[in-house]
Amino acid sequence: MVLLGGEVRTRLLPTARPLRAAETARLLELRPDEPVHVSARPNAHALSPPRPVGVDCALPTPDGTRVRAVGTVLSQASVTGGRVVQAHARTGATAAGPDGRRPWGHYLTRPGVVEPLGKLPEGAVARGFLAGGGPGELDLGLIAQRLLTEVLRHPLPDRQEPLPTPRTRLRWVALWAADAEAPRLERFTIEGDELRTARLRLPYDAPPDAVAAFCADLALHDWLLTTLIAVLEEHPPGAPPEAGSGRVLRWVVDQLLHLWMPGVRLDERLAPLWHALERTPGFTCQWQALAQHVRDRTPRPVRCRWTNESEAGEACGRRAGYPK
Amino acid sequence: MTEAVFREFPDQSRTHSVPLSHVSLEMGHLYAEDFAHEAARLRAHFAEAGPWVDAVAVSAARATGGRRPRVSTCFLVDDYFAPFSSPADVVPALIGEAERAGLRIDYLVRESGLAEADGFPLARSVAGRLVESPPPGSNGVRPAAAETGWLANGRRSPASGPHADPSAPSGWHPPHETAARRHSVFLDAELWDGQGAGRTFSCAFLAAVWQLLRLGLLRHHGLPVLRPHPWDGSLPGTWEELPVVLQLNPKAAPFAAYRTCSLLPSGYLPVEHAVQVILEQIQVEAEALHQVAERSAAEGVHLPDSVAERASYIFYPGP
Repeated sequence: MVLLGGEVRTRLLPTARPLRAAETARLLELRPDEPVHVSARPNAHALSPPRPVGVDCALPTPDGTRVRAVGTVLSQASVTGGRVVQAHARTGATAAGPDGRRPWGHYLTRPGVVEPLGKLPEGAVARGFLAGGGPGELDLGLIAQRLLTEVLRHPLPDRQEPLPTPRTRLRWVALWAADAEAPRLERFTIEGDELRTARLRLPYDAPPDAVAAFCADLALHDWLLTTLIAVLEEHPPGAPPEAGSGRVLRWVVDQLLHLWMPGVRLDERLAPLWHALERTPGFTCQWQALAQHVRDRTPRPVRCRWTNESEAGEACGRRAGYPK
Repeated sequence: MTEAVFREFPDQSRTHSVPLSHVSLEMGHLYAEDFAHEAARLRAHFAEAGPWVDAVAVSAARATGGRRPRVSTCFLVDDYFAPFSSPADVVPALIGEAERAGLRIDYLVRESGLAEADGFPLARSVAGRLVESPPPGSNGVRPAAAETGWLANGRRSPASGPHADPSAPSGWHPPHETAARRHSVFLDAELWDGQGAGRTFSCAFLAAVWQLLRLGLLRHHGLPVLRPHPWDGSLPGTWEELPVVLQLNPKAAPFAAYRTCSLLPSGYLPVEHAVQVILEQIQVEAEALHQVAERSAAEGVHLPDSVAERASYIFYPGP
């Protein structure tokens, strides 16, 4: 493979409370015979088994270069903290392939790989993955969205949107390069309210699964930061009590702040990728500042020897104009 | 990279292996209507089967370079579509008629266990491994077989397909087999009908599960499914009480094998064509496939990469 491309869609689970580990595992059971990887440390995280989807179509290229490719895209879903759901579609392209399509069994034994018919126009396809697929072209975003819709079709406890939050899309492409000694995040761009793009360069020993896991982790943390920025914009200091800022900020403290753990499941070989983001734009630096800001403005339960917890909560709610 | 110090559930992804013969020979299927004719039909079947069983053993020996091949025989009883009679009545007759023709049934298998057994939905889990062969132009967003319950070997005719392309011009367009050699033999197979708990799997789909089981390629969370159960000589009054895979012959070669051969009346040809189309589009667990490849290579036995090509058939005249 000479390049990998993917798209991650990230959103809040539409449930009143975070899902428990067993509920998350049921949600992500894409293949009954393969386990959902459920992990409790250092935070709650569940990852579905990867599911291949067969494709035989043109690869996306922004300049009209036509290249047909055959193979499979891996789609995979995850839930972090019982709260944030992600759907990911990704594939890797080989530098060249035969002139005609091979028997399907050949592609089935290479999950997550597409082979071009002929030579791969590497640069055009890399740009195409970041631009997204046009009509009839491979569109990883649609495959990811399809999986997200499927996962959310499952029965959920107390289905409701606890808070209007952003839904983000991260399109990424990673190129293997002979001259790359360490993995490098060449560019991370906020393209708009929802869309982000990332371009990576990798040494030959970078495993595709780990690269995809990094991109999902990047998408998750970008979503957390985007959400926090949106919440603070919606609930600026001095907002009128009827805006319910106290309740919203409390919710953010309870449900989201503890999810910030960039790179904790990352393959060590890819650690330099996060370091770059920490330097510019300073992901964790911004997060910590905003999180502290949210905490400072969040009404705390009143600690009083003579009241029980629920009274404390009510006292706290009244003090901050907590809507009943 | 140094090994991780901390691990959660380290055994979660380990795939266990299964013992393997050279050939798993299916000596027949038994349906309610076959048994309705009592011993006569069984007798005729085994008489027909005898020479072919010998031929399979000779053919298997060619692949082992003259060494005695491990061949296990099995027999499938349909207790899924139309449960009939009882093990206590059927099994002794079956064994008796086989012996009369000089044949030995090593393993007796219940078809309903291929759909669901011991609370484990085997057929549903195989359905989860369908990765459809995309006809040219597929960008991964058409309705999947997992949703429609239909699997084809190419592009459906838009005029007749259940998901006709609304943008296609009106009028008929031919279907097209993706791997056609000049002319198509298009096949669209129904995998199941009904939804949820009321889903009934088709004969073709269960036969594909049956092939994968005999090829030793099915696992559940890494563990082999439906291991043979040694027979203690007792026969219960109902099929549900009988183990799904019952080992009748204690000295039998392993149930699963590198290749399968099925001895069937030619009336099964359409079903088995569908089985081939299904097998070509199932992504078998990579590690299970790898184990079989490694073991066969160590024995000097050549195996095709394609799982579908590991299944062979002998069709004798009959309905």
